[in-house]
Amino acid sequence: MKRKKVLAVTLAAAMTLSLAACGDSQETPAPAEPAAPAAEEAAPADSGDAAEEETPAAEADTATTGVPSYSQVKVGEDYTNLTATIKWLHHKTDRAEDGTIDQMIADFNAVYPNIAVEAEAITDYAEDSLLRLSSGDWGDIMFIPAVDKSELQNYFMPIDTLENLSNEINFANIWEFGGQSYGVPYMANAQGVLYNKAVFEAAGITTLPKTPTEFIDALQKISDNTDAIPLYTNYAAGWTMGAWDAYIGVVSNGDNTYMNQKFVHTAEPFKDPGDGTGIYNLYKILYDAVDKGLIEDDYTTTDWEGCKGMLNRGEIGTMVLGSWAYAQMVEAGDHGEDVGYMPFPMSVGGTQYALAGGDYSYGINVNSSDENKTAAMVFIKWMTEESGWCFNEGGYTVKKGGQNPDMYAAFDGATIMSDEPSIAGEETYLNDMNAESELSFNAGGNTKVQRVVEAAATGAETYDDIMSDWTEAWNAAQEELGIAVTN
Amino acid sequence: MASERTMVKPQKRSFGEWAASRDGQKVFVMTLFMIVPLLLLFVFTYLPFAEMFGFSFYNMKYLGARKFVGLKNYIKVFERDDCFGALKLSLYYMAGSVVQLVLSLYLATMLSFKVKGGNIFKGFMFFPYLINGIAIGFIFKFFYTRGFVFDTVLQWCGFELENLPYWLKDQSINNISLVGTSVWRYFGQNMVLFIGAIMSVDAELYEAAMLDGANRFHQFKYIILPSIKTIITLNVILSITGSLSAFEPPYVITSGANGTGTYFVIMHEIAHTQQKVGLASAMAVILLLIIFVATILQKLFFKYVFKNAEDEDKNAAAKREKKLAKLAAGKAGK
Repeated sequence: MKRKKVLAVTLAAAMTLSLAACGDSQETPAPAEPAAPAAEEAAPADSGDAAEEETPAAEADTATTGVPSYSQVKVGEDYTNLTATIKWLHHKTDRAEDGTIDQMIADFNAVYPNIAVEAEAITDYAEDSLLRLSSGDWGDIMFIPAVDKSELQNYFMPIDTLENLSNEINFANIWEFGGQSYGVPYMANAQGVLYNKAVFEAAGITTLPKTPTEFIDALQKISDNTDAIPLYTNYAAGWTMGAWDAYIGVVSNGDNTYMNQKFVHTAEPFKDPGDGTGIYNLYKILYDAVDKGLIEDDYTTTDWEGCKGMLNRGEIGTMVLGSWAYAQMVEAGDHGEDVGYMPFPMSVGGTQYALAGGDYSYGINVNSSDENKTAAMVFIKWMTEESGWCFNEGGYTVKKGGQNPDMYAAFDGATIMSDEPSIAGEETYLNDMNAESELSFNAGGNTKVQRVVEAAATGAETYDDIMSDWTEAWNAAQEELGIAVTN
Repeated sequence: MASERTMVKPQKRSFGEWAASRDGQKVFVMTLFMIVPLLLLFVFTYLPFAEMFGFSFYNMKYLGARKFVGLKNYIKVFERDDCFGALKLSLYYMAGSVVQLVLSLYLATMLSFKVKGGNIFKGFMFFPYLINGIAIGFIFKFFYTRGFVFDTVLQWCGFELENLPYWLKDQSINNISLVGTSVWRYFGQNMVLFIGAIMSVDAELYEAAMLDGANRFHQFKYIILPSIKTIITLNVILSITGSLSAFEPPYVITSGANGTGTYFVIMHEIAHTQQKVGLASAMAVILLLIIFVATILQKLFFKYVFKNAEDEDKNAAAKREKKLAKLAAGKAGK
């Protein structure tokens, strides 16, 4: 009998353990949002060994420590005789395999023959880099992983003051803390609308539409003058409809603090501002296009894979998708040169805005020696200005006034902005509001956009019905979560 | 204790002796064999269900803090239009399952008599059930696309494309289109189950019935139907339950958009997109209760129906007796 008891106790213990394993859920931050840089997420475990003999005081002039700041380095002129060996951790395993990285380092060594760069590509970068970072022994340059901004100074040296860096590069604020910038993105993306140049020409559209009205007119011209589908909604795939959410911030109001800071506090975010801007007029474009029959015949059976070739061949006039889709459309057929990318047709006070986001950013180890820091700084600036990496990847230029790939040609007149991060202490607000209101902006809220299409096609609801529904849900969520409402 | 009952010798055995004895071994083996399935059942069914039942009282996401809200989630389920509105769609699927069962019962009866190429037919009709549900979704997405397979076939039959509806876009028929795929997929399986049950009917009964002048329909009504009532009940209950929890066709073909979101699809959306885990858990518990009620009602219904069927049998027997008596009387009169 004793043995039975032992058995029972062991079993009970095992079950309790498994229960504990199931039930236990730590407070981990919500998944990163696609558009915002994963800045304020997931603080890495505090590493005890981040010894700071030379804690960079925020205001200290970096030049006095012997390391030049980003703006002080003149690529190709200074430090060409510097001798150092620096190590660089990056995530571009594909570029490491195809030799691009080696080629760039070789080009770098043509100018700086004595700076040896050891590059290490990490497959599971987002996670492994955090581990390497906390171990302290990772080299001199790495792409900054998801660390809290307040932790930046424990691991990385300031590249430059935000003010100076903003004159040198776009997106200088991604890793800004206390007036100092700690990172330089290696490339960036800007969001707009895909279109087919040949279709636009055949339809007689000479200037790209800049407002919703002009856009609908253009779609009408495509419908009247060509056989192409003016606007392909990609309704059936779902997530392609959610892509419309990418334009609710900067694009629709020109305010880069809107998306992550003001939106959750707005009382009536879906009100018609009356000047063709705002979230109201953004989805109104979709509604009007469907209402006027300017979309595909049967939207419930759209085919995502098929649409790429159709846009390429000129069977589709426009599609509202992020810049990442551009390369796929170009490669989908023989008429890649016809695929164009333009800023979203919405102008705020006469200016078109485009949302852009930086990719991973270079950061320099705060504990490296002065020589290595200097060499790393030189390398970073050379990579940004001379390597052409960003351009070759099809990214929006990081260097101020740098050359953009052809796809961004139409963005010349537009103002490029990236979203400001949320205010400290309010980081979870947007996610909470998205979930509570079930509108899920930029977080898989495809159903609400599909509803706009359905309403316009079947006439079951008017556009204002939908908007007042959204407002109601938004306000109810604000109340439920106790989020202060301002105008 | 079993061990004590079988203990015939008066002296006490030590635990070691008992464990080594046949009785002890029997108990050990029984326990061990029981533990495996019970543990699996517990860990993978009852424990998750209990957890989910617990979740339904919280306002929670998958990660982060939870807040106990009592019955608020259940109240919300009843307040929201989309949850119970979605259950109306189940009526389409229930109607579909009736069609499916009648069709499969008919075909099963046909095929259980001698039919040329019967096995080939069985194979072809069972085949859809073997295809993965997701694949079926993709097949039918193309099948129903404007101007694709279905429209082409109908055009061969003389229909004009302009007169054909949009099978998935038109909200008045898109649910019927989806139910069609579900019927197509499952009728073969039902049919095979029915054939299996019909096989078990003693063939001599048919011969005897034939001698008594029963035609095929009589044979079906008086022999086959009563013999396979258990399997019919089972199939009906499974189909109705399945209609309440229809998921794959609307999820894959239309992703629940355009008025095709069934209860399950809505639940999935709430649980995974909106991450309202508590609310979705409450929906799941309510669905479980609805299924319980539906199953019990069906059980009662069938009890009633088949009781009558047996009575009818008796009536028929009595009638037959009368007939025979008349015949005998007639013969005697000759």
